[in-house]
Amino acid sequence: MERRSKENHALFLLTAGLLAWLIPGAGYFLLKEKKRAVIIFATITLTFCTGLYVGSIGVIDPVASKPWYVAQIMNSPMVAILGHISAGGGFPVYGRPNEVGHIYTGIAGLLNLLCIVNTVYLAHQRRAERSGD
Amino acid sequence: MAAVAFVIASFTAPQELGTNPQSMFMLLPLTAAIAVIYKATKLPTITAGNFIKETTALFGSIVIFIIITALTLYTLAWLITQ
Repeated sequence: MERRSKENHALFLLTAGLLAWLIPGAGYFLLKEKKRAVIIFATITLTFCTGLYVGSIGVIDPVASKPWYVAQIMNSPMVAILGHISAGGGFPVYGRPNEVGHIYTGIAGLLNLLCIVNTVYLAHQRRAERSGD
Repeated sequence: MAAVAFVIASFTAPQELGTNPQSMFMLLPLTAAIAVIYKATKLPTITAGNFIKETTALFGSIVIFIIITALTLYTLAWLITQ
């Protein structure tokens, strides 16, 4: 019985984390923190879109700028689709727009990573409080 | 339909952004985003007034710290090159 409960708990944490990665803020929505979810979704999406607008989708380059890509993919797995489109080098971007685009999209991804970690922690804390641990 | 195509097309070419002092203002929206997300994850309960107050305080302190750092580095560079 206890083992089953622990498995359910791990599954819940995994679901919350994956949901938070799939759609920014969705993990908080699962935890019924609607205000937080809306604020996080709007801010991360806006920051990411600003980076894409300034630098174009060329800033998502899984081949030439791998370290930035690792940060960018933290926004959502959907970034991989953009990476697949721009991987052929059809959207060249240089200079200041390239820098600003990378910084905005990368920071948006890292902020979402913070939210993912916080969602999982909050989900764990809630379950622990409920079970009286 | 044309409007949607126009919006999508605007994401396929980079904007013109010169390497000038004015381009440093691009750090302000990013700082605001960092302040908003940080406070959204840290505040125990979110109310409009409290959230705006806390976010503004964090945004201001980050900007002031950046200005102090920039001035220090500028002074240091000036002293070295004189």
